[in-house]
Amino acid sequence: MYIGIDVGGTCTDAVLLDNGLVMATAKVPSSDNILTSLLKALDQIMKGVPAELIERVVFSTTLITNLIAEKKYDPVGLILIPGPGLSHAHYQYNTDTYIISGAIDYRGREIMPLRHEEIQNAVNNLSAKGYKKVAVVGKFSVRNNKHEKEVASRVKQYNPDWQVEMGHQVAGQLSFPRRVVSTMLTCATRDKYSFFVDSVNEALSRRGIKGTVYILKADGGTMPLSKVAGMPIETIFSGPAASTLGVQALIPPGETSVVVDIGGTTTDLALILSGQPLLSSRGARVYDQLTQVRALAVKSVPVGGDSVVERVGKEILLYSERLGAPYCLGGPMPTPTDALRVLGLTNLGNLDKACEAMESIGQPLGMSCNDVASYVTNLVVDMIVQEIEMMFLQWQQEPAYRVWEVLQKRKERPRTVVGVGGGAAGFITQIAARIGCYPVIPPYARVANAIGAAVALPTLQVSLRADTEQGYYTVEEEGYQGKIDKDPFSEEDALLLANEWLRKRAENYGLETMIEKTEVTRKDVFTMVRNWVTTGRIYDICVQTSRGIMGHIGSRGGF
Amino acid sequence: MNSDKTGLIFFPAFDWAISPTHPEREERLLYTRDQIFEEGVMDLPQIKEYAPRLATLHDIARTHFCVPRVQSQVTEAHLIAAGSTLQLGDSIINKEIKNGFALVRPPGHHAMRVVHGNRGFCSINNEAILVEYLRRRHGIKKIAIVDSDAHHGDGTQDIFYHDPDVLFISFHQDGRTIFPGTGFTHELGGPGAYARTLNVPLPPGTTDDTFMYVVDNLVLPVVKEFQPEIIINSAGQDNHYTDPLGSMRFTARAYADFTKKLKPHLAVLEGGYAIESALPYVNLAIILALAGADYSYVMEPDYWPGRFKESPDRISNVHRMVDQLLETWEKRDQVDLQKIFGTGKFYQRKKSIYYDTDYIEEDQLEKVRLCPDCPGYIVIESRAERGYREPVRIFAVSIPFQACNSCQSEAYDLYEEFKRKTERSFDYLYLQDKSTDTCISYDKKKQKEWITEG
Ligand SMILES: [Zn+2]
Ligand SMILES: [Zn+2]
Repeated sequence: MYIGIDVGGTCTDAVLLDNGLVMATAKVPSSDNILTSLLKALDQIMKGVPAELIERVVFSTTLITNLIAEKKYDPVGLILIPGPGLSHAHYQYNTDTYIISGAIDYRGREIMPLRHEEIQNAVNNLSAKGYKKVAVVGKFSVRNNKHEKEVASRVKQYNPDWQVEMGHQVAGQLSFPRRVVSTMLTCATRDKYSFFVDSVNEALSRRGIKGTVYILKADGGTMPLSKVAGMPIETIFSGPAASTLGVQALIPPGETSVVVDIGGTTTDLALILSGQPLLSSRGARVYDQLTQVRALAVKSVPVGGDSVVERVGKEILLYSERLGAPYCLGGPMPTPTDALRVLGLTNLGNLDKACEAMESIGQPLGMSCNDVASYVTNLVVDMIVQEIEMMFLQWQQEPAYRVWEVLQKRKERPRTVVGVGGGAAGFITQIAARIGCYPVIPPYARVANAIGAAVALPTLQVSLRADTEQGYYTVEEEGYQGKIDKDPFSEEDALLLANEWLRKRAENYGLETMIEKTEVTRKDVFTMVRNWVTTGRIYDICVQTSRGIMGHIGSRGGF
Repeated sequence: MNSDKTGLIFFPAFDWAISPTHPEREERLLYTRDQIFEEGVMDLPQIKEYAPRLATLHDIARTHFCVPRVQSQVTEAHLIAAGSTLQLGDSIINKEIKNGFALVRPPGHHAMRVVHGNRGFCSINNEAILVEYLRRRHGIKKIAIVDSDAHHGDGTQDIFYHDPDVLFISFHQDGRTIFPGTGFTHELGGPGAYARTLNVPLPPGTTDDTFMYVVDNLVLPVVKEFQPEIIINSAGQDNHYTDPLGSMRFTARAYADFTKKLKPHLAVLEGGYAIESALPYVNLAIILALAGADYSYVMEPDYWPGRFKESPDRISNVHRMVDQLLETWEKRDQVDLQKIFGTGKFYQRKKSIYYDTDYIEEDQLEKVRLCPDCPGYIVIESRAERGYREPVRIFAVSIPFQACNSCQSEAYDLYEEFKRKTERSFDYLYLQDKSTDTCISYDKKKQKEWITEG
């Protein structure tokens, strides 16, 4: 039996799955102490089920996202080594930042040495200002981590109790500014994340659950829950990822769908293309900051069932903020939920109150209660439809850097619009009609997120870059850099090495069974020619375990 | 929508090469990719990245006579490089972006109107294809192309030699010392477009100071006076001091200064084969300059200010040449064209063209109809030999978009006349009518004709 639990800001949702069927669900308010709500949710779904039968528990959470949103973390100081390139004026991160000399180039060669007095000076200043957390990030540190390591070890030498994070260990892809943000956020949230891990372990051990425990990442894969392995920021947006995977499990395989998750004040949109959730082409944006976190392409639209509706002059406007519950549920202001109530598209709340809300807006404009209700519903539908079209457009216009990528560009239209979340029921039919799709509200839509967590599978990836002329290789996901000890080192050798690392990673995570099926997602070979002579090769290879979910709900026998 | 963004299409074609060890191979833009991705350029608020797109075969046929047909000369990579240029052209005209950079390969500025094969690593001319596209799709007429590649942009020059509405300026390493061996000051355009082609051959070793002198004293004033609707920069980077093919000494900073001064609507990558020591820095600097961002932190690791000095003699030679060219430009409407080009119904020139990549030798006779009402149609007879193979002979007629009615009908008559001829003096016939956007090709042996319309 499998358990999926989504720890959200307002609710903690849980499901128990057995043999492809939903055996029990729970929705409890999230308490300040997550332990309490976790225990409550577990007790609801495990009534009469012996703990020994639980093979696997997967968590998703918005805790880290919320921490970042509310800036509830200790300040992190920055020591940056950008070298030449963009103006250093770009590196503004709202915290004390020290830019020091030193530079590495794209091949990992040192082009400017570090200056020790500058490191010392930075540390002294950070110390004087009371910092105890530092992120050290260098441009091209993923090609050569020497500078980052040296600076970090000096910081540790002066202040052994400080928490120091290095860019190359957090964010292996190219993009120095995103690496800075990712490293800073990792540094900021690591201790809160380990607190979450402790609470989860405590809850499970109190209920005697001994199955393996995973946490969902933003890209829809899972990793074993542990304090040391993994980066807390990989869990940002695991909430929306969980909903998307939930939908994937609730609809037939291979379908192309738009997932519309309408909440109180925001609507999350995601795309499932031929059965696979779309990954965002660059890293996730966390509020106004760009990170390198691989994530499903989820777009948040600031509109939901509780958004405020107001008349301004002769116009009816929709605001993104929430001032309380809908009017028909005793709230202070008219909302889209009131409109749905008037039109009979929901049975939440009191009809008379809903009419009253709509009339208060319509009267000065000479509009009837029904007119206002349809107008407001249309406003919401318009906004969501526009964003859906934009998402498809952006997907079609994603850059391509290889001939085959340009040639295989697809134009795909969705067949279904799948609604999940509290506000979905009222709007989904109209949204689907607008884009020429079938509306679907699957069973268990309310706990799609917890179902998504329950069916998620571990994903492992290795991006290997080997430079035979320089004689070294790097593994992006591990922040590892090592010598190539074979000469000549062929494309097959590179592929073998990548697969060997994938196996090593799998062993570290206790996921040996995962590497039975792997796929090569990138294999670029660059012949280096200098003065008309071939001097080496660069291999850029990415291997991963196949993406997917355990199975589809109701399909039986699959899992 | 009036945007102040800079559009960027980065198409490094990581899966395309002329051959594994050719300078035009997968590796060429690898380090440029590394640099601009690591800098986070695509995330800058001023930058809008576009997806590449494919040009159509008709887009190519509107500009070139590809022998025997377009699809036999271009690969998909060529269509993507050209298509990306068109995409940015559209976005500029639609005002989605204020300017753009097609950071694409393969390059194109050595590709001439007739294409028998690949020369100077080029098969089709991306900038020329864009010019004809802008005219057809967007009604643009006057366009300036400034070529900053170390090699003479002989392909672009060839295509617009008789077009008074295209200003073509190329500064480059002296043709006596480098491929393709042309681009001298006396190449000034045909009788209908005199001084709309200007060439500035610079001695090997020329540095930033002289580069800026040419820009400030010739390029900028001439472009300004020409009043183009669109300015295109053929942004070759082999003038860089580390380039293995060129012998010039320009820096990344100077390329950026030049871009900032010229303010091209569109820069299109051409050559540049110092793929590690120059391209990452030059490309980054050009992008930042187009975006109006600070590029003063971009510097090659082995450069220090004042590293290169030039002899005063050489400097004054260049200054004299610039003065003379400027005078030619200023007096372009006062010269006696008949004295230079002669009289008669046609002006003709003979060309021998060597395709260095494909080892093809072409002999071409180009005639332009001297017409008081329009730039006149162009007639081309060309014969290409490749090794011991049977030579290929073609006859082609090109009608400019500004053509008058009588030129247009004369040109069609000529094409029909050659089509009727029974003896096979030509293997393929072509007619390109830019005024109606119609392209026709005819295979004499198969007696088959293909027509495309835009
Ligand atoms: Zn060149
Ligand atoms: Zn005429």
